[in-house]
Amino acid sequence: MNIGKGSFFCIVGPNGSGKSTLLRVISAALKPQEGAVYLDGRSINGIKHRSIAGMLSFVPQNTSLEFDFKVSDVVLMGRYPYINKLKGETGKDFEIAEKAMEYTNTTHLKDRSFMELSGGERQRVILAQAFAQDTDILILDEPVSHLDLQHQVEILNLIKKMCVDRKLTAITVLHDLNLASAYGDYIVMMKAGAIMKQGTPFETLTADGIKEIFDTDVYVSVSPVGNKPYIYALTKPNIEKKGIRVHVICGGGSGSDIISRLCSEGFDLSSGVLAIGDLDWKISKENDMQVAEEVPFVGISGEAYAKNKELAMAADAIVLTGLYLGKSNLKNLELLLEKDLEGKPLFILEDESFAARDYTGGAACRLYEMIKFRNNSILTDSKLLKEEIIKAVETHGESKE
Amino acid sequence: MGKVKNRNWQVFVFLIASLILTLIFATSTGAVKISTAEIIEILAKKDSDIVNASILMDIRLPRVLLAVVLGAGLAAVGGVMQAIFKNPLVDSYTLGMSSGAALGAVISIITGLNARILGMETTGVFAFIGAVLTLFFVYSLAYTRNRMSINSFLLAGVAVSYFLASVISFLMMLNHDKIEHIVFWTMGSLSMATWNEFFISAALIIPSLAVLMYYTRELNILTMGEDAAHHLGINTFALKNVLLITCALVVGSVVSTGGTIAFLGLVAPHIIRLIIGSDNKRVIPYSALLGSILLVLADTVGRVLIQPAEIPVGVMTSIMGGPFFIFLLRKSKN
Repeated sequence: MNIGKGSFFCIVGPNGSGKSTLLRVISAALKPQEGAVYLDGRSINGIKHRSIAGMLSFVPQNTSLEFDFKVSDVVLMGRYPYINKLKGETGKDFEIAEKAMEYTNTTHLKDRSFMELSGGERQRVILAQAFAQDTDILILDEPVSHLDLQHQVEILNLIKKMCVDRKLTAITVLHDLNLASAYGDYIVMMKAGAIMKQGTPFETLTADGIKEIFDTDVYVSVSPVGNKPYIYALTKPNIEKKGIRVHVICGGGSGSDIISRLCSEGFDLSSGVLAIGDLDWKISKENDMQVAEEVPFVGISGEAYAKNKELAMAADAIVLTGLYLGKSNLKNLELLLEKDLEGKPLFILEDESFAARDYTGGAACRLYEMIKFRNNSILTDSKLLKEEIIKAVETHGESKE
Repeated sequence: MGKVKNRNWQVFVFLIASLILTLIFATSTGAVKISTAEIIEILAKKDSDIVNASILMDIRLPRVLLAVVLGAGLAAVGGVMQAIFKNPLVDSYTLGMSSGAALGAVISIITGLNARILGMETTGVFAFIGAVLTLFFVYSLAYTRNRMSINSFLLAGVAVSYFLASVISFLMMLNHDKIEHIVFWTMGSLSMATWNEFFISAALIIPSLAVLMYYTRELNILTMGEDAAHHLGINTFALKNVLLITCALVVGSVVSTGGTIAFLGLVAPHIIRLIIGSDNKRVIPYSALLGSILLVLADTVGRVLIQPAEIPVGVMTSIMGGPFFIFLLRKSKN
């Protein structure tokens, strides 16, 4: 990989993929078995330790000291590469250390003992040390992994500021993909010791890219702040299936909560008829459900209606959510009055504002009243739904036998 | 900053004053009391009692000065090794170096290879070789896959230490006739001190201390971790080699003249750190001073406590150092 000046590089990858090793090869702490690292066009293994330290500084994940030093002493250590051994630190070195503490907002900690500091404060002091080292390149190995959100942001903001103010190049390993996306100008993705992908966050942090590197399903959208990719982990624990099929009549997001909840409880779900791209449609697809679907705004075709009916008939119970009804989806209500579905448990999530959801000029209201009084319709709310379904399916099954 | 510096000076002046007082106390006490005035007279080469002059110049002074040099060496080495390995429990003893040196010395005694090479006793040379070999053996045990864990280093050190101690016991069993001589090594004693031994030890230990002092700034950075030290421009591998070989040289020469003297290297640096903090630029020289004071005191007390017999100085340092070490541990827990 090729690293340009003044940018913020993030290396991401699963544990054990060689991120830290890569960092240590870059900083000449380890010798590469093959290949070479070039700094300003010179191979880094040919440069003296002290000269490297004048070009490149390092921030580890965590610094713990067994013996106690004052904060100002720790910062002053950053001047080591420039110190003449016999003369010791000069006024200039002290001045630079002071400045470094000002910049990182650690001046007030100056006389405190390093060991007494909190994790975030320690990391700021180490950044002050790196600042005092006055290098063009800053290498960080998971600098925020053990910090809380406030300190993560604080430290990363500080590093970003150094990139902008001082034309510093930061190369950092980050675990949190969303932080990498938010701060990184450039992302390097590693797996099994090799670089798999590199580029801007939009080029690299795609659902496919992340699946390939981390072997995990994620959903990637765009963060509303900062216009960067935002990654959601899809949490799908392996729930034991209940063997109960439920068909959900929903739309416009009215079924999302119910679908996620029933899915995570181990019900087999289907839904319909949903417009392609609808919020409920997306959730259904993410959960690998069977969906009766239709192109948006055209009304429900015969084909979609038939599919919806088929799914409803196969289900042990049907759920009607508090969906908005217009001309295009009125047939979803008509379905529930079909003879073939008579007696099938139907759960109506009642919210007493059906009239407000009716955009058909009363037609939906009339259908709704009929549905309510159909055989085996049950008015309930979403909190009780799970228990009620199980109960109804049991008694319904018994009465069939 | 000003306040801290003042305190450092106070501590320094206090240590120097204590050392001088200890020296006077040590040279005047014994089976024969010699007054301070008489000591000055003898040193000024005025006519005085010939017997007392002989006791002072031939017996006490070399012994006391030897204790000064050995104590300084042990304490400084302890401080340096604690900083290198970032562990407060490390010293020449816990890393097996002292046992290695003792075994070297014992082997030379048993085999009768007691000649002089270039003015040095073979015993001393063997002790040094024993110390270096043990250090590198322990080091290689702990160093696996390019990484070294301090815990395995300490464990390896303690294990090797025990092993070598039992080898020494075994050799003692086989060599009844030399048992007294060997016990002297394993317990640590300064009773054989002569001017010659003092000069040889000083010639080895004082330059070594200068080397250790020269690297105290690097030592400070090394306590931040090897990674950090590397990225601040230190060739950690070379630095550690230089420091460890120098330490082995000091331990070797201490053991070859005084046997194994426990606890001093562990305790002295801790006391100094409690008072002035961890800056090795001061910890190492101050520890050396304190080490001198403590060893001279321990030796003198051991010399007079159960007259006419002597308690070996290694026993004395253990008796005094053990409880103090436990006190330190409890204090650091709070």
